[in-house]
Amino acid sequence: MKTMAVVLATGAAATAFVVAAVLAEQRGGEAAAQDVTFLGEPVTAEEIALGQDLYAANCASCHGDNLEGQADWMRRLDNGRMPAPPHDETGHTWHHADRQLFIITRLGVGGVVPGYDSDMPAFKDVLTDEQIRAVFAFIKSTWPERQRTFQADVTANDEGDS
Amino acid sequence: MARNPIPAPSRATMSASGSPQGFLHQTRRGFLSASLTAVGLLALPAALRPAKSASFPAMALAFDGKALLVAGATLSRSDDAGRTQSTLPGPDGILALATHPERPGRVVAGLASGRVAISQDGGRTWKDRVIGNGEGAVDTVTMSAGQPDMMYAAIRGDGIWKSEDAGRNWSLAMDRPWLDNAERDLRALASVDLATGMGGIWIYAGTDTGITRVPDCFCRWQDVQPGNAMDALVAGDAPPPEAPLPSGEPVRALAGAHTASETLYAALPSGVWSSRDAGVVWSRLTSGDASAVAVNPIDPEHIVAALDGGLKQSRDRGTTWFALSTS
Ligand code: HEC
Repeated sequence: MKTMAVVLATGAAATAFVVAAVLAEQRGGEAAAQDVTFLGEPVTAEEIALGQDLYAANCASCHGDNLEGQADWMRRLDNGRMPAPPHDETGHTWHHADRQLFIITRLGVGGVVPGYDSDMPAFKDVLTDEQIRAVFAFIKSTWPERQRTFQADVTANDEGDS
Repeated sequence: MARNPIPAPSRATMSASGSPQGFLHQTRRGFLSASLTAVGLLALPAALRPAKSASFPAMALAFDGKALLVAGATLSRSDDAGRTQSTLPGPDGILALATHPERPGRVVAGLASGRVAISQDGGRTWKDRVIGNGEGAVDTVTMSAGQPDMMYAAIRGDGIWKSEDAGRNWSLAMDRPWLDNAERDLRALASVDLATGMGGIWIYAGTDTGITRVPDCFCRWQDVQPGNAMDALVAGDAPPPEAPLPSGEPVRALAGAHTASETLYAALPSGVWSSRDAGVVWSRLTSGDASAVAVNPIDPEHIVAALDGGLKQSRDRGTTWFALSTS
């Protein structure tokens, strides 16, 4: 589905854009590469494709094959920790700036909330920075426009702060 | 839906030290605990057992503009700081009240029946709204500081629910916080218009074991920490000073000053406390068994608190206190 959206969009004809946009709308996301940036840099279609594989290999076991998160993810586990939330538009990933998403993935949630206990692993010894970037290129490409625009604003504000 | 005939508690029986034993002790796993109750409640794992609440707020307070609303045995409204008051036909069993400076006349009440009631005319007429499965009392309600149509309500034994359309539709937003190895019920909520640094603003919450907070995207509960704690951690600097609320005490009410987001007031069994830095450093304004506190949005120097079973007010942000005059 993703490749189809990309192919249609890169067809660049205005009608193709419309078709891609309509399809994307119906599926609730799947933006073309040119609509997605990560840490200020536009992502490429290759990064999105690589990110999809990296996501399947490293993240899907907890965050879901379709980014849907763990079952009942708003409810705490018996050990007091939270399940893995969705990375699609039903979760809260899109509320966080690129920098936070990058830090959480490198260092775990403790990287942004000191002392926080969680089951989210730190990927700094597993994935390179470029690979983490590719994972978010993929995740962000699945978001509908509303979530992408919201998250772009949060990211812009965050960059303004630092 | 069939509902248990739960008698609405009379406010008169809910003194600050009164215990709500046997009243609405259900959890979100209500169906589960209800079916297990027959087998024996003690067999339940700790997380599923209904939280024991030591005491109830004796009263809920809120300012609608400069008018003070007081929910006790009855609901009353005073437009002249307590000199005269009128009794309103409020819903039974009000546990919490919330108003918003940008929506004069709108009052939201959390009810012992597990519903919320909403008034658009300063408390004179009310509409009930179903929230969740109605199995736990709605202990606290608030509206987002920046978006008055965004409402939050905490259900006992359950979690925070939110409504984006001024109370018509509600959905689960977040489980209860995990503090000292257990899930804790929420006694108080306050939307605080300060950026979390993670997108959005903070929602502060009072529990039986102190204060905690969650960004309004509901990503995770977290401790109140100085804003630059993370930077200090990275730089290896000494952490900034902190003076937390006394540990182990329930935080029964929280109120923010609309005009100064860093200013918070809290009602505890040890008194009314305030913070000028969004909850990092607290100091006690007055001692006494405090169960509710509210800030006048028209005059933020004016604070009213339910203290030792009566009402007291301060005209200087809590430095001096005197009884609320009633006719
Ligand atoms: C072992 C299970 C597991 C794996 C594998 C995993 N995560 Fe997570 N992740 C979690 C859990 C659990 C949380 C929620 C942590 C919390 O809030 O307590 C989480 C949270 C997150 C968050 C924060 C979301 C938010 O909105 O706050 C991000 C971002 C994230 N994960 C990214 C990733 C990425 C990217 C991968 C793959 C490279 C990944 N995770 C792999 C379990 C996992």
